[in-house]
Amino acid sequence: MNELITGFKQMAPSIPYIINGVWVSLGIALGASILGFIGGILLSLCKIGQVKILSGLAHVYTSIFRGTPLILQLAIAYFGIPQLFQMGDVNPLTCAIITFGLNSAAYMSEIIRSGINAVDKGQFEASKALGVSYWPTMKDIILPQAIKNILPAMMNEFITLTKDSAIVSTISVTDMMRRSQIVAANIFSYFPPMLVSLVMYYIIVMALTYLGNRLERRMRRSD
Amino acid sequence: MIKAEHIYKNFGDIHVLKDVSMEVNKGEVVVIIGPSGSGKSTFLRCINLLEEPTKGQVQIDDQNLTELSPKQVVKVREKVGMVFQHFYLFPHKTVLENLIYAPMKVKGLSRDEAVARAKELLKKVGLFDKINQYPNKLSGGQQQRVAIARSLAMEPDYMLFDEPTSALDPEMVKEVLDVIQSLAESGMTMIIVTHEMGFAKMVADKVIFMDDGQILESNTPENFFNHPSTERAKDFLQKIL
Repeated sequence: MNELITGFKQMAPSIPYIINGVWVSLGIALGASILGFIGGILLSLCKIGQVKILSGLAHVYTSIFRGTPLILQLAIAYFGIPQLFQMGDVNPLTCAIITFGLNSAAYMSEIIRSGINAVDKGQFEASKALGVSYWPTMKDIILPQAIKNILPAMMNEFITLTKDSAIVSTISVTDMMRRSQIVAANIFSYFPPMLVSLVMYYIIVMALTYLGNRLERRMRRSD
Repeated sequence: MIKAEHIYKNFGDIHVLKDVSMEVNKGEVVVIIGPSGSGKSTFLRCINLLEEPTKGQVQIDDQNLTELSPKQVVKVREKVGMVFQHFYLFPHKTVLENLIYAPMKVKGLSRDEAVARAKELLKKVGLFDKINQYPNKLSGGQQQRVAIARSLAMEPDYMLFDEPTSALDPEMVKEVLDVIQSLAESGMTMIIVTHEMGFAKMVADKVIFMDDGQILESNTPENFFNHPSTERAKDFLQKIL
């Protein structure tokens, strides 16, 4: 017990350092979800489209990214690929955001696809009957309705990304998790810095969940 | 002029339309009636190629739709308005936005022009006060009137109505039929699929009776309703009148 108290005391000056890692985690999640959203839209459009090759490729892409561990994808992106193509040192943060983005696009594409499918087919037909062609219909009529439907699911994806971003500690990005490890190694006490991270992650996830719920309720009010 | 020639439509093994032909001249109002599942709606949807006929030709003015590229078909649809049973207003857009979207996007109207046209049309269907509402705040009858106005905003030469009052509460049927009737009186060329027989009698220049994917009768309303020539039509009229 005494050890633990000493541990907390020793760690105290490092608490802001750990907590500030939250911006790295959130930054990765935000960057990745923007990439994932754009990629997800493109993939989902390929999947529901008429072009067989594109829909096949999109399905294979999704299958691979969903069928392998994220930590492995990250290792391949950061250690494997740069070595293979002799790219020298790559920026781990950029690498993390891109990998997470590509991974998230796979999940997002399934969410968006189900959202598009949930929009009444009549919306397509009404737009068609007005002489509007496929792309404007998609962009102005179908996607806005689809995205409204899937907003809660996308919020979940963002929360998952935030939590999963702790994996970037394995490629030396100093996110909150990594900072806890560094502090722990400095003071030879693991529990206190990890507890700080744990509480922070939990607070953030709760805050995001709350925001998501409010957003959802606001959306429903306009119905 | 709309001309459909020998239209066949199969959904898998089901033959929904079997050799359906019809001609509608400018200014004519044609009403299609018949039992559920007789292929009326499918036929209507074949006319603007929302449904691609398995066989046969659709001609609008001097263009043969079945021979056009998808891009050209989109172009032809500009002059064929369509009103659906379930309205299909865009729920994320206000009434005004519903009306100005296609004219701006497709016809390249400026916002001012489109808004001016929309306001005029909303006055015509008696819903000017709903201009900034979202569709789900409107009653079914109001939504359908907005949907008609939305179609008219494209200034079509033809209008197709697919059971425009079938999804409405009884007390809202009349307000929609009134709008359609005034449209008929203004000389719009229309094809209307409906179950409203009284309305059919009143507005139709020609009544077409369909059953089992075929046209059984095509006649003036007086002749059709008073002297149906097929047993099937007699039976149908007896059941619903």
